[in-house]
Amino acid sequence: MNIGLNLTKEGLLRRKSVAASTALVFLTSSVLIGVGGNSSAQAAADCANKTLQLLSVGDPFEYALKEVLPQFTAETGIKVNLESLDNQTLSSRLATAFVTKKSDLDVVTVDNIWVGQYYDNGWILSLNDLIKANKDVDLKDMVPGVLYSISEWRGQFVGLPMAPYAQGVMYRTDVYKSLGIKTPAAGWTWDEYLANARKINGKTVNGKKMYGTVIVGKQPVPIVHMYTQLMAGQGARWFKKFPEAPWDFTPTLASKQNIRAATMYRDLYKVSPKEAISFDWFAAGMRFADGDIGQMYWWTPYFYLVQNKGYMSGKPSPIVGKYAIADLPSEKGKPANISTGGWQLSIPSTAECPEESFKLVKWVNSAKAQKAMAKVDKYGTQFSDFGRYSNLRDPELVKMYPYLPKLEKMLEAGNGKVSRPGMQIYPALEGVYGLQLNKILLGADVKKTLTETNSLFSNLLGGNMLLPYKGKSYDDTLQATKDLIASLS
Amino acid sequence: MLAPSFILLFALTLYPLIFAVRNAFFYWNLQTSPTPQMFVGLDNFKNAFTFTPFMASLRNTLLIAFIGIIIEITIGMFIALALSAKMPYLTFVRALLIMPTTIAPIIVGFMFRYMYWDVTGLIPWIAKTLHIPEPGAGYLGSTGTALPAILLADIWQWTPFFAIVLYAAIVSVDSEMIEAARVDGAGGIRVVWSIILPTIKPVMVVIVLLQFMKLFNIFDLVYVLTRGGPGDSTMTLSYSLFQQGLVNFNIGVAAAMTIMIVAILNILVFIYTKFVMKGAKLS
Amino acid sequence: MRKNTTQKIGIYFFLVCTLILFLGPIVWIFALSIRPPESAFQYPPTLIFKPTLDAFHHVFVSPGIQLRQLFNSIIISLGAVVINLPLSFLAAYALSRFPIKRKGLIMGWYLGLLMAPPVVFLIPYFILMNNIGLSGTHLSIILVLQLITIPFSVWLLKSFIDDIPLEIEEAAQIDGAGTWKILRSITFPLCGPGIIVTTMFAFVFAWNNAIFPIVLSVQKTATIQIGAFSYFGASGVQWSVIGAIAVAAMVVPMVIFLVLDKFVVRGLTFGSVKG
Repeated sequence: MNIGLNLTKEGLLRRKSVAASTALVFLTSSVLIGVGGNSSAQAAADCANKTLQLLSVGDPFEYALKEVLPQFTAETGIKVNLESLDNQTLSSRLATAFVTKKSDLDVVTVDNIWVGQYYDNGWILSLNDLIKANKDVDLKDMVPGVLYSISEWRGQFVGLPMAPYAQGVMYRTDVYKSLGIKTPAAGWTWDEYLANARKINGKTVNGKKMYGTVIVGKQPVPIVHMYTQLMAGQGARWFKKFPEAPWDFTPTLASKQNIRAATMYRDLYKVSPKEAISFDWFAAGMRFADGDIGQMYWWTPYFYLVQNKGYMSGKPSPIVGKYAIADLPSEKGKPANISTGGWQLSIPSTAECPEESFKLVKWVNSAKAQKAMAKVDKYGTQFSDFGRYSNLRDPELVKMYPYLPKLEKMLEAGNGKVSRPGMQIYPALEGVYGLQLNKILLGADVKKTLTETNSLFSNLLGGNMLLPYKGKSYDDTLQATKDLIASLS
Repeated sequence: MLAPSFILLFALTLYPLIFAVRNAFFYWNLQTSPTPQMFVGLDNFKNAFTFTPFMASLRNTLLIAFIGIIIEITIGMFIALALSAKMPYLTFVRALLIMPTTIAPIIVGFMFRYMYWDVTGLIPWIAKTLHIPEPGAGYLGSTGTALPAILLADIWQWTPFFAIVLYAAIVSVDSEMIEAARVDGAGGIRVVWSIILPTIKPVMVVIVLLQFMKLFNIFDLVYVLTRGGPGDSTMTLSYSLFQQGLVNFNIGVAAAMTIMIVAILNILVFIYTKFVMKGAKLS
Repeated sequence: MRKNTTQKIGIYFFLVCTLILFLGPIVWIFALSIRPPESAFQYPPTLIFKPTLDAFHHVFVSPGIQLRQLFNSIIISLGAVVINLPLSFLAAYALSRFPIKRKGLIMGWYLGLLMAPPVVFLIPYFILMNNIGLSGTHLSIILVLQLITIPFSVWLLKSFIDDIPLEIEEAAQIDGAGTWKILRSITFPLCGPGIIVTTMFAFVFAWNNAIFPIVLSVQKTATIQIGAFSYFGASGVQWSVIGAIAVAAMVVPMVIFLVLDKFVVRGLTFGSVKG
C-alpha cells in the first residue's frame, strides 16, 4: 500500500508545451462546438409533419388518454408522443424548462393552481383568440365553474379542461347501516362528519376492524389538496382579499376559522390509520378501497377508482356495491365551498406550432373525446371527469357512472380559487403550508404552528415583492368568466 | 501544460462563488426576471432563516454525516478484518461485496423506497418477523425513523466501500510484525489496536474526509425517499438549497444559503485538517 | 495469521451474512423487475412467482421511452469522458512532473471541488447554460459534469504518473527528446492502465449522476437514472417497471467495477490509496 498524498518527486522537465496546450484547447473547443451545434440548432418548424410532444402528469386520466390518442391521429393526421411524470417532478421539470425557454414540449397538462405562475411569467399562451376562431370549442357546453376554477386567469383562458375534479364524500353504506348512523343528508355539517368518523372508528363490522376515515398526510403537495377543502368549508381564507379585486395577499392563516379547521383535520387524523401521515392521493384512495375505512372526502375521480384494487389491476375491490356518494358537509347555513381542481391542456409559449397544439387541446376537451375516454375498458372503465353538460347528462355515460348528476351539482357549486388560490407563487406557499400542516398532524400546537405559518407566508410574500401588492388586480369572479364565455362564443 | 485544464476548471469553479457573492445581496426571482431585480442588503441571509428550514437542515445534515461516518467505518472495519484472514474464496467475496457502492445513489433511493413500503415491503416484513414494531406512519413517514431510514440506505451503499479500502490497507500491514506480536502473546484485539490501526491511520484519515463530504452533500436519497418530510425531519442543506434555488427560483436567497453552506464546509474541513490530519500531509 | 477451524467457520459465517445483507437488496430489485405487477407487494414477501419480461418490454420496446433515456445516458457519459481525459491527463502530468509553485494548493483546490455540494454549482450553471443558449442540450450536462470528472481524474491519473520511474523520462531527455515527445512516446503508453482505469471510473461517475440531469435535462435529454419518475403517478406506482429501469441503470457500473476489480480501491479514493 502506498499513500499517494505526498508530492515528493519534482521533475526536471521544462515547460515547452505551449503549442501542445493550444492545440488541445482548440481540439476540445471544436468538439464542444460540434456537439453543441448539433443539438442546439433549431430546425425550421415543419408544422405539417409535426409530432406533438405531450407531457402529462401521471394522474388517473392518463391511461384513458393514452388509449384514445390514436383516434386523434386518425382524424387529424397529427402524431402525438405522450410522456408522463409524477406531479412534483412535472412541476419542477416544467418550471425549469420554461425558465430557460427551452422546452421541447408542444402541449402540457397544467394543474389549476399553476395558472397564475405560468401565465404571469409568460410561460403559457392565452387561448382566447384561438377559442374565438374555433367555434366548435363550444364553451357554452362547459360548466362555467369548471372553466372559472381551472382555466381562467386574468380574463384569459390559458388552457382547456381535460379532467376537472370536485370533492365529495364516499361513505360505506353497509357500515353506516350496521352501526345505525344516519345517511348524510343535504346540509350536513363537518361536526357531523367528524362525529360519524368517531362513531365508526375501532368498531368491527363484518369481521373487519374499521377506521373512521382516512386523511392524506404526505407533505408538501398532497396534504394541502385535502386540507384546503376542509379549510374552505370552514370559511377560512388564505389571503385578505382574493380573488376579488383589489387583491391583497396579506395572509390570514391564523384566523379562528382556520384554527378550527386544522384542529378538526388533526382530529380526523386521530381516527385514520397512522400511516396516513405519508399517504398521497392514491394511497389514501386505495386504503378506502381496501375496505376498512368508514368514510372519506376526496377528489371525485376516486368515485370510480376505488372500485378497483390498485392501479390497472382490473380486479374489483372489496367495497364494490357497498359505498355511496354524498355531498360535502358545510358549516351551518354557509356554502360548502367545494374545491374544484384538476387538469387542463395548455400550450407553452415556446411551442413551435401553436395551431397544431391547439387541435389536440381542443380535441381532448371535446365531448366526443371525453366520452371515448370514459368508455375505454381495458382494466375496467375508469374515467368520468367531465366538465361538459353533454357528457354529464349523456344517458349512456350516466348508466356507466351513476353519480354523474351529483357530480354535475358539485362542479356547478365548486370554486377552486377560494380553496387553493393559484396566484403567482402558489407552489412556493404550498410547499411551506404542506410542511407546517404535516407538523400539526405530528402533534405540533395548532395555533402556534398556524401563527408561525402565517409569518412564514408574510416573509415569503414580502420576499417576493407581493406584499403589499402593487401589481395589477383582476376582479376574478364567476360572473366575469361567464361574461368571457359569452364574448368568445 | 497544466494551463488548459487548470484555467478551465478554475474559471468553472470560481464562477459559482462570484455568482453567489454578488447575488446574495439582490432580490431575484428567476421566474419573473432573467436578471437580479433589486438590491436588498442582508435580507436574503435573514430570509434564509425565516422562510427556509435552514437550521433544521443543518442539524439533519450534521447528524447524517457524523453518525453515518461512525457506523460505516466501524462495520467496514469488521468486514475488512474478516476479509483479511488468509482463507480461500475471499477474493470472490470482496469482488461481490463492492456492488452496492457501484449503484447510482438515486437508484439506491428507488430500491429502498420499494423495500420500505408500508407493511408489505421487505424491510417492514423483516422487522415484523423480528418483532420490531413498525411505526404507525411507516418508516419513511415517522419523524423518529425517517432520518435513520435514509441513513440506513446510505450505510448499505457505502459500508462496502470502507470495507474494501480498509481491507487494502490492512493487507499491506507487515505480517511479520503481527506474527512477532502474536509470539509475544498479544491477543486479536491488541494486534488490531496497536499494530493494524496505527499503520492504516493515514488511509482512514483520507477516506473519512472523502466520505464525510459525500454524506454532508446528501441529496439523491432525500429527493427520492422523503423530500425532506415528514415535517422538516429529513431536510438537508443540499435539499433545501435545491428547493430554494431550483424549485422556487429564489436565486438571492439560494445565493445567501450557498455562502453559508460553503463557509460551514470550510470551517469543518479546516478543523479536520488542523486536528486530525496533521500527521498525514495532504499533498 | 493461522486460524483454527472454529475461527474459520466463524469468519465464513460472518462474511456470508454480510454478503446476504449487501447483495440481498440487489437480488430483490432484480426479482422486482421480472415480477408480474400484482406480486410486487405480495405478503409475505416471496421470491416464488412466475417471472415475466413485461416490464422490460414496456421500458425498452413498447412504448420504450427508456430506450432513448439509455442512449442519452451513454451519450452524456461518453461525452463527459471525451472532454475530461485530455484535460486531466495534461494537468496530472504537469502536477506530477513540473516544479509548480503551490502544488499542494492546486491539488487541494481540486479535492475541494469533489467535496462541495453539487447543488452549489448547479444553480449558477443552470442560469449560465440558459444565457449561452445551451439549455436543453446534452452538452450542458456534459460540461457541468466536468466539475466532478476533471478533479477526480487529475488525482487518479497523477497517482499513476507518479508511479512511472522518473529515470526513463530523464534518459529520454538526455537523448534529446522534447517534453511533448516524451509525453507522447513514453509517459502516455506507460500510463495506459491508468488511463483505462480513469476513463472507466469517470464514465461511471458521469453515468451515476442524477442531480445534473434532474435540473439540466429536458424530456429529450433525460437520462435513465431519472427515468423512473415517470412511474410514480397519482394513480399508483408501477413498481415492476421501476425495477426494470433500476436494473438497466445499475448493470453498467456493476460490470465495469467487476472488470476493474484490481483498481476499485484506487479509483474510489481518487488514487490516494493504492490497493
